[in-house]
Amino acid sequence: MTSAIRLVFSNSKYLLLSITIFSTMLVGLLILSEYIFLEPYVVSHLPSGTEFGFILIVTISALSALVLPMNIFRINILKKSKQKMGGGVFGSIIGVAAGACSCGPIGFAVISTFGSVGATATAFLTNYEIPIRIIAIGILAITCFTTVRSLKIECKFDPNS
Amino acid sequence: MNKTGVIIGVIVIAIIAGVATSFTSSSETVNLDMSRTHGTISTAMGSPILGDPSAPITIVEFGDYQCHQCYNWFHNTKPAIVEDYIETGKANLVFVDLAFLGRDSPISAQASYCAEDQEMYWEYHDMLYTFQDSKIDGGWANSERLKAFAGDLRLDMELFNSCLDSGKYSKRVQYNTQQARDNGVRATPGFFIVGPDGQEKIGGAQPFSVFKQVLDKMI
Repeated sequence: MTSAIRLVFSNSKYLLLSITIFSTMLVGLLILSEYIFLEPYVVSHLPSGTEFGFILIVTISALSALVLPMNIFRINILKKSKQKMGGGVFGSIIGVAAGACSCGPIGFAVISTFGSVGATATAFLTNYEIPIRIIAIGILAITCFTTVRSLKIECKFDPNS
Repeated sequence: MNKTGVIIGVIVIAIIAGVATSFTSSSETVNLDMSRTHGTISTAMGSPILGDPSAPITIVEFGDYQCHQCYNWFHNTKPAIVEDYIETGKANLVFVDLAFLGRDSPISAQASYCAEDQEMYWEYHDMLYTFQDSKIDGGWANSERLKAFAGDLRLDMELFNSCLDSGKYSKRVQYNTQQARDNGVRATPGFFIVGPDGQEKIGGAQPFSVFKQVLDKMI
């Protein structure tokens, strides 16, 4: 596994992409889930009882930053199909969507626009935020392992290297 | 032409009658200071004032009883604000409903005003945020549970039930929700800190340190 990761991230372009994905997702999700506030002052806040949600956000961001560049590497360098890319993107999207808490401005906009249908959708995302994030982590982890396995086969790694 | 005129006339009369009825029922059943405002916000239909009404600063909180972030703010930030600013007379607090999250949100807001009829608004408010369940519309704030909360506070159940079942305060909650929208509140909890020289908006369940900075600046 480490050899496949080393192969991809030895290219500074993919390392930079990974750092960008991680920092963007992490900061975005932390703002969305109200761990970071920008107004009236920039401040971070971890209220008691929300620690597990914070850990899930960090995990989703880290896995997305690992999986997405590896799949882009497969598509660009090895000219392989985009099939496995779907898992990574899907996992990332549902991980992000779970953070669209109905209390927040996104939830408010959805409910204001779509009425009771929007309220039901945001209530679902809020009520099952933790399980949805765990599913997203599962999807990203499976995609990560299958991508590494594909890279091993496609790049013909020496398992002892 | 004559027929159209009659139809328009009937519609106009119906609208006027509807508006008149709504205003009449509100003024008959709700004894409120309709001129009460804080900054740009009409808080006339909001909660009673928590703390000294003559305090120089008013914290206006827009919230929903089913909102998890409101729950976080209630448990993590509000106690320090109450201790340092409200109990010392430096500030007071008004809660205004932005009841939008689900079907049980408006009814729980109405229930809080039914408790106010028996001078137990803040006790009921605190109880709802103490026993909030993590699931929106999961049944914790349905009509039966709201009545059970009232029973736990030993309210007069006959009065409370008739108040809640009649929807006595539905227009009051609607008015408050409209106030939130008119003042650009797009999430709960949302706050306006209204001082002698103006007002400042704080969005979200922010920590005590942020409120302290804003409040100290205004004192």
